[in-house]
Amino acid sequence: MDKLLEYLVKALVDEPDNVSIVEVTGDQSTTYEVHVAPNDLGKVIGKQGRIANALRTVTKAAAMKHKRKVYVEIVA
Amino acid sequence: MTQEDVVPGLDRSSLPEDFATAMVVLDGFCAASGEDMYPVATFLDAPYLHVSLEGTDLHQSWGRSGQGLDALQFLLNLIVSRKVSGDVRIMLDAAGYRARREEQLRTLALEIAAEVKSRNEECEIEPLPAHERRLIHAVLAEDPDIITHSEGKEPHRFIVVGPRIAAS
Repeated sequence: MDKLLEYLVKALVDEPDNVSIVEVTGDQSTTYEVHVAPNDLGKVIGKQGRIANALRTVTKAAAMKHKRKVYVEIVA
Repeated sequence: MTQEDVVPGLDRSSLPEDFATAMVVLDGFCAASGEDMYPVATFLDAPYLHVSLEGTDLHQSWGRSGQGLDALQFLLNLIVSRKVSGDVRIMLDAAGYRARREEQLRTLALEIAAEVKSRNEECEIEPLPAHERRLIHAVLAEDPDIITHSEGKEPHRFIVVGPRIAAS
């Protein structure tokens, strides 16, 4: 799942070398912290958070068969 | 990819460069997913390239709800538009989901139209994405006794189906 998220985020930004995904595993859920260069924040958030929300929805769909709750947070 | 031998699809080498690039983006995504999943280009109606995700167990993920598929389509199109100069739009499907959904929506539209006619009053349909509303409008446009319009704001915009001639 983190690989999938990493692939999408790296392809969306101008500085893919500055992208990292940190996986924080909890009891019921997993949070993926998406770290990008400050200049790329807009590229992964989008107008009204449209891109960020699409990333969340896609991660959820990919996680569905694992029956885990997933959260995606974007960090500069 | 060798899988194209088993699933019918377009010959990749026949695709114009920009569309071939789009397929490479899809290959990368499928590889990154870690699942048994691969993209098949089903047909090209430039600028629209119809692609279906095929593989194992897709009914539990991408083939299950339209939301994930629509979000993925949106992101992949953003990514592809960064890589090509021409106009390329991916229309994404997974394991026949779109066709199944279209049939569901068609049935829903006809059932609601019948209900509206028998009660002679308006009926609202749950909020749907734009392309799904479009299908319902199109299906019911053929019915002379029914009129449809949409209300509300995205993403909660919904269709209202009503009798064309209001009860007097």
